Amino acid sequence: MDMHEAQLLFINEAEELLDVMESCLLEVEAGDATIDAHIDAIFRAAHTIKGSAGLFGFDAIVAFTHSVESVLEQVRADKLEFTPALAELLLDCHRHMVQMIQSIADPELASDKNQGTKLLAALDVYLHPPKSDEPLTDTSQAPIPDDSGHWSIHIDYGREVFRDGMDPCSQLKFLQTLGQVDDVRVTADFSDGEFDPECCYLRLQMALISSADKQQIEEVFEFIQDSSKVTISAPKALVNKVQACAEDDARLGETLVNSGALTKRELEMALAEQRRALQENRQAEALGNMLIKQGAVDKSLVSAALSKQKNQEHKRPIDLQFLKVDARKLDNLIGLIGELVTAGAANELLIGQLAHEKLQESFAGMTLLVEQIRDAALGLRMVQIGESFGRLKRIVRDVSKELGKDINLEVLGAETELDKSMVEKLSDPLMHIVRNAIDHGIEPQDVRIYKGKPSQGQLCLNAYHEAGAVVIEITDDGAGLDPDRIRAKAIENGILDTDKQLSKEDIYKLIFEPGFSTASAITNLSGRGVGMDVVKRNIEELRGQISIASDINQGTRFRIRLPLTLAIIDGFEVTVGDAHLVIPVNMIQECLAFDAEALAVERDYLNLRGEVLPFVRVRDILKIPGQRLQREHVVVVQFGENRAGLVVETLLGELQAVIKPLNKMFRAIRGIGGSTVMGSGDIGFILDVPQLIEFTMHKESRQCAPASDKSEKEKHE
Amino acid sequence: MGKTILIVDDSVSIRQVVGIALKSAGFDVIEAVDGQDALAKLSGQKINLVISDVNMPNMDGITFVSELKKLPAYRFTPVIMLTTEGADDKKAAGKAAGAKAWVVKPFKAEQMLDAVNKLILP
Repeated sequence: MDMHEAQLLFINEAEELLDVMESCLLEVEAGDATIDAHIDAIFRAAHTIKGSAGLFGFDAIVAFTHSVESVLEQVRADKLEFTPALAELLLDCHRHMVQMIQSIADPELASDKNQGTKLLAALDVYLHPPKSDEPLTDTSQAPIPDDSGHWSIHIDYGREVFRDGMDPCSQLKFLQTLGQVDDVRVTADFSDGEFDPECCYLRLQMALISSADKQQIEEVFEFIQDSSKVTISAPKALVNKVQACAEDDARLGETLVNSGALTKRELEMALAEQRRALQENRQAEALGNMLIKQGAVDKSLVSAALSKQKNQEHKRPIDLQFLKVDARKLDNLIGLIGELVTAGAANELLIGQLAHEKLQESFAGMTLLVEQIRDAALGLRMVQIGESFGRLKRIVRDVSKELGKDINLEVLGAETELDKSMVEKLSDPLMHIVRNAIDHGIEPQDVRIYKGKPSQGQLCLNAYHEAGAVVIEITDDGAGLDPDRIRAKAIENGILDTDKQLSKEDIYKLIFEPGFSTASAITNLSGRGVGMDVVKRNIEELRGQISIASDINQGTRFRIRLPLTLAIIDGFEVTVGDAHLVIPVNMIQECLAFDAEALAVERDYLNLRGEVLPFVRVRDILKIPGQRLQREHVVVVQFGENRAGLVVETLLGELQAVIKPLNKMFRAIRGIGGSTVMGSGDIGFILDVPQLIEFTMHKESRQCAPASDKSEKEKHE
Repeated sequence: MGKTILIVDDSVSIRQVVGIALKSAGFDVIEAVDGQDALAKLSGQKINLVISDVNMPNMDGITFVSELKKLPAYRFTPVIMLTTEGADDKKAAGKAAGAKAWVVKPFKAEQMLDAVNKLILP
């Protein structure tokens, strides 16, 4: 991995951490969570960014993040109260950090140095409170910190200690550098029956009040470790620290060492003993029991650490949910699976010709597996849409604050999954719609009260699955779209002819036209040069659709429908003339023989069990040359709320279609969304069903509007 | 009455750095370049602590400590061996010879002072 890649990884990681930091801060600020619940995550984000930035030599980021981290540390240690003002400041710091990270990738986005200095000064106030404030505690006589307590030390000196040149007094003196030594009891062990003045018969028992960990205390006695027996018992209060020492690893030994209740030497001894026992007896006692037996730790500490281990086991599935994989590897895998699907289709064709029953059977089994692999691989790219929604929360907060509007954001279906690349491309259009909703949709408070609405505006983001698609709705309870105003504006801007009559839905669609803007005053929020036309284009690039429903004074709902994935679809193969066409299966409702009698076929619509169904001949739309067959079929397709019939010639059956985008040259062709390679090696075209349905509806309205009095059914063919 | 420490090391920089640290902590310091030199410089005077390197020309540290411990006046004098990381055999040999304390190279001056303070009072 070269430096540039590593740097990209860093940027990626930092951005994710910043997202976590932001959502935590926002939740706390909104009162959805306590600061205690999130401070660790917030702190860890700052801490990790600082650490990684240091590796890459981004000194400015290190310096700034260090101050943020210091303040967070104070909050974490309960030394600093988490006030709304502090939350605001931290959110500003977050924004600055985002800018600094972004400016690594794109130096043109240089972060505002003045802003950084200002923020640092503001943070400094929290770190060094003005002197005039009387310190709450006199540090010189501060009571012992909470996590200390009495260490109990027992030393049974070896006889040869004096001969080794060891002086117990110097060790005790050294021990005092770690804390306060109290209650020293000296006893002597003369059980030998003899007295040798060169021998040491001392036994010492003492209490030590210190925040040092066991490792540090043991090191004081390291030189007499071999000759004497030193027992150090942890204070009771350490149980809390063991429980609180929630590092990501959940191993008993490490937990105890990290919380300072166990020394590395003791752990290694116990582990070595365990290994030895395993080799000799093929079984060994649990580490915890061994440590207790060794006298290294108290039982209460082991059970504290183990209870924590249990907690972490609960948490672990969440921790392990994510594995970072280079997106290119994933794309490569999906590409290969696409080839596999195509190759499978080729084999299926050949095997079909062989009419070998056993072979067909085994191949069917394999096809099933290939389908499962395909779904699983595509699933790898799926992420929860909540990630995008999280960013929107921030926008809602900032924009509503800036405009002085009180807005409640409701988020539903954040766990709905969508292709990762789509989530990324969605973030801008969603942001724009949300900004618009707050800026133009939801009225100022006084207007709302005047209209008899609750003063707090409601904005709702909702995502859900519907028939092989993902639907995202952005609903506000604002002023709603005014069709007359839109119409007038469109005429004024030359988008619409004066005499043209349009339905309400068609008028709403005008706001997606380039160069359309109804905002009477362009605020700095919505007037960013990105219009609704860009929103629509972005969504269409994702093979999605956007529609609007609105009622004046009731609110507006933007509805975005997106396909689940961009790579492979389950298709249904049909032919018209020589052309192989693929219709996405999830849009197909049913297939019927195109029987002019039974279906009471009109020029453009037919009677499907009493319902009017508009239809088109695919041969006509795609201008496929050749003669119409006697026997035709109609495929009933649905997209959203609309249905239509597509008349084709033969129905060939289901297949998996690996979507290959059409060359730019062919983008303009209506009705075709992509191409695919069939098992036979032929090229198949994937029909753009939403476009075809829209075309059918329009054709119908064009035909119907002037001839609405045509009630007599007129038979065709 | 100050306490006296003997430093035995063939590296002049180690002798100097340790010497300065110990002197500023209030100890008197005698320097020797190897085991032979050290034994010659002792000449029966009162020594409270010996700090010795292992690898030295003429007489190495292990031999020096064994020789030292044979002299009645220095039987109980604590000895700090300067060992290198992972040289457990040297450490064990040093302990067997009578050097019960050790400091692992490379060390900082404070680490040396800590070790000294665990053994003798200033």
